[in-house]
Amino acid sequence: MHSVEETIEVAVPVRTAYDQWTQFKSFPRFMATVKRVEQVRPAVTAWVIGYGPVRREFEAEIVEQEPDSHLAWRSLERGPSHRGEVSFRPTAAGGTAVTVRMDLQPRGLAGVLTSVPRMAGRVVRLELGHFKEFIEGLGEAGGAWRGTIRNGHVRPVEPQPPRSRVPCWPVG
Amino acid sequence: MKKPPGEEPKDELTVTPPKKWAAGVPAVVHALEYSLEQTSPVRTGETLLTMNQVGGIDCPGCAWADPSPGHRHRNEYCENGAKHINDEATTRRVTADFFRRYPVSELARRSDMWLNHQGRLTEPMVKRPGSDHYEPISWTDAFGLLSAELTSLDSPDEAVFYTSGRVGNEAAFVLQLFARALGTNNLPDCSNMCHESSGFALHETLGTGKGTVSLHDLHHADLIFLVGQNPGTNHPRQLSALEQAKLNGARIIAVNPLPEAGLLRFKNPQKARGVIGHGVQIADRFLHIRPGGDLALFQALNRLLLEAEDARPGQVLDHDFIRANTSGFEEFAEHVRAISWEEVLTATELTREEIEKVRDDVLRSERVIVCWAMGVTQHKHGVATIREIVNFLMLRGNIGRAGTGACPVRGHSNVQGDRTMGIWEQMPDSFLDALQREFGFDPPRAHGLDSVNSIKAMREGRIKLFLGVAGNFVRAAPDSAVTEEAMRRCRLTAYISTKLNRSHAVCGRAALILPTLGRTERDFQAGGEQFVTVENSMSEVHTSRGRLKPASKLLLSEVAILCRLARRTLDGEPDIPWDRFEADYGAIRDRISRIVPGLHDFNRRVARPGGIQLPNPVNEGVFPTAVGKALFTCNAWEMPHTPDGHLLLQTLRSHDQWNTIPYTSDDRYRGIHGSRRVVLVNPADLTELGLSEGQHVDLVSVWTDKVRRRAEDFEVVPYPTARGSAASYYPETQVLVPLDSVAEISNQPTSKGIVVRLEPTGARRSPKTTPS
Repeated sequence: MHSVEETIEVAVPVRTAYDQWTQFKSFPRFMATVKRVEQVRPAVTAWVIGYGPVRREFEAEIVEQEPDSHLAWRSLERGPSHRGEVSFRPTAAGGTAVTVRMDLQPRGLAGVLTSVPRMAGRVVRLELGHFKEFIEGLGEAGGAWRGTIRNGHVRPVEPQPPRSRVPCWPVG
Repeated sequence: MKKPPGEEPKDELTVTPPKKWAAGVPAVVHALEYSLEQTSPVRTGETLLTMNQVGGIDCPGCAWADPSPGHRHRNEYCENGAKHINDEATTRRVTADFFRRYPVSELARRSDMWLNHQGRLTEPMVKRPGSDHYEPISWTDAFGLLSAELTSLDSPDEAVFYTSGRVGNEAAFVLQLFARALGTNNLPDCSNMCHESSGFALHETLGTGKGTVSLHDLHHADLIFLVGQNPGTNHPRQLSALEQAKLNGARIIAVNPLPEAGLLRFKNPQKARGVIGHGVQIADRFLHIRPGGDLALFQALNRLLLEAEDARPGQVLDHDFIRANTSGFEEFAEHVRAISWEEVLTATELTREEIEKVRDDVLRSERVIVCWAMGVTQHKHGVATIREIVNFLMLRGNIGRAGTGACPVRGHSNVQGDRTMGIWEQMPDSFLDALQREFGFDPPRAHGLDSVNSIKAMREGRIKLFLGVAGNFVRAAPDSAVTEEAMRRCRLTAYISTKLNRSHAVCGRAALILPTLGRTERDFQAGGEQFVTVENSMSEVHTSRGRLKPASKLLLSEVAILCRLARRTLDGEPDIPWDRFEADYGAIRDRISRIVPGLHDFNRRVARPGGIQLPNPVNEGVFPTAVGKALFTCNAWEMPHTPDGHLLLQTLRSHDQWNTIPYTSDDRYRGIHGSRRVVLVNPADLTELGLSEGQHVDLVSVWTDKVRRRAEDFEVVPYPTARGSAASYYPETQVLVPLDSVAEISNQPTSKGIVVRLEPTGARRSPKTTPS
């Protein structure tokens, strides 16, 4: 198990930084190692990450999420597995300190690459830099999900979010 | 064209030891053997290599979900799917000559297997009142006859429109639109007989009528229950998902009255470990439960979980989930704490130690899924059992979270989609209001008839006309003698079918056979080549495109038949563009997108690889019940009273069978070969009953109406069924299921819980009255 922690300050309010972070599908737009993200459900995302010719797919469950504060996730695969948390704190200058903490349990080739603690830390630092560049450049978030997640259970903001409007009558 | 068999297969029983594993190389061999017997190597290749592929044919065999695009095997089908699709792709043909040769009365004496083996229907046929023969009729005259009968009814409620789960979304939507434009909600379907209990229980407790689980959830679960289901035969591709779950570290608990091969071990024929290795063990624990004992089992587990919480407060139950998302916990807890262990052990035939071991498995598992099928739904307390399963899942927050949930495993490939399209006799006002807005007519609001109530209405002469779209209603329905009498009372019965079955032979005074395209065939209309859409058991809506040349130039698609019938019958009122619908199924999907929530922008989204995943509200944190929260419920049970000398019978399918249609007389996993007229009984029960292996018996069911329902001449086979129970094949034993023996609330026939006695044929006292 390797742990990584990196912090970066971004010059946008907490709400802007947090809202942008909830738009996982946009991550490939500014992150170098994230190739594709699918938002399966509010609490489940499917990721393709890679560097050079190496690709790894995994699904992640968001176990805790509190708007403008933090979100914590864990990969659903038994191995390699990882868990992490990203938190958002206001700075005195009106910006946001974004901190990513990750615990990695590597396996396989991709695992070997990320098993070097300094390399994992470097990747996280690099991607946080990309996030800073992106959100500061745009100035506002490209969307927002303001729900809460507790122990993997979603608590939406609206009583009937659009995705819940589906046929609910009994199916035999 | 291959030649169909002229004679019935000989009935010669051989019994071998039951298999302890499913699939493997024999599955591939049997699939190819049957496929090549039905059709050519080229057609076999065309069907199998496109089955369940993106842009290919959706296998009509079952409703199991496909892996995501990019993660499918080149051979993404199972033995039974291969047999089923090539049973449809057969080159055998039923022509007008066949009907000249065989009168209807003769067809009614033939077996289900023989009828099916005659091949594909090729042209419309009519049986006129008083005639014993079908004769050719033009499509124009067939529509004329059917629409004249429909318009001459005193009320539209004198007609019923039955749907079987093979029907695609577009035809299902058109059918319900036609029925409602005509003025009736009489839309029974095959769901009424398979998972109706699931729909009612889930809708009441979670606010959603569908399962909450995806393939990904199964892959990531820690513990999976398989309750009252036989995946090796009825949903073989589920075994691949279970194998994946096992490789990821999951444990599996199988709960079933029979130790089915597919519950024990799976040899995946696409993996080296399945071809030359030992495969993967499926069940880590097998509970040999008495039929119908599942409710008692889950109540006992729930009591044990509550007691575990008492011992370790705050560490067992998910209080946060219960507090935020549920209602009724206190009443439920009080109820379940008071259950009697003695009654639980009697109902389940399990030991307390066995149940406590399951509790320990549950306590060790963070993510739990419960899968179930008709072994749960087809009991008097089927709805209550599923409600109790929901209680069980909710106690530890195993709902609405990754790797958790409720998983009803459905059979027919589009049975779920047909409901989404409005095939239900009790559709809510929100759907009917949307129809009204879209098409400018006022749909009837009074609830219509389901399958059981349709039979009752036919028997009483209140239904004059029966139109079946796919399926084999006469054999799928319970109480065969009653159902057949009811069908014969109809003025007209009409079937839109691909192949011959008993429902064509046991028909109304007049009868129509309207032959249609199969799922495997290309569908050309005025607007170009069409595809249909279907929805699997995990709410994925995707396309299905046929690849083969149609069996006959005279075949019309189901959509075309229904649109032409509607145009002819309704005569422009209300103003619905039936001809446009027939020409371009995209025009139907455009309308669906404005009526069915969640299917907005249907045409564009369904064309994407993998199609549309309809979300489940529960996974979005929404419980659309009456109170806006998931409901804990208090459930009581009363096991069927089985007097001394009687057994509790469950009807089941053989491995070589698709729904009502047996392909051969073999059931290889259970070691039954050459005959279907067998009854499987625990050896200890045989000793108690004074019966012996190989003895011939009549099965006689016991019901409150004192009518003697008898299935004649079954051979006794000692088999490890749960004590006090017996098993025998469906549909031969449908004759034993009383029409009034239904699940509470869902009105679903209780085909897995019939009290019977076994009378040696030497003691037979009444003449033979049942169909073969």
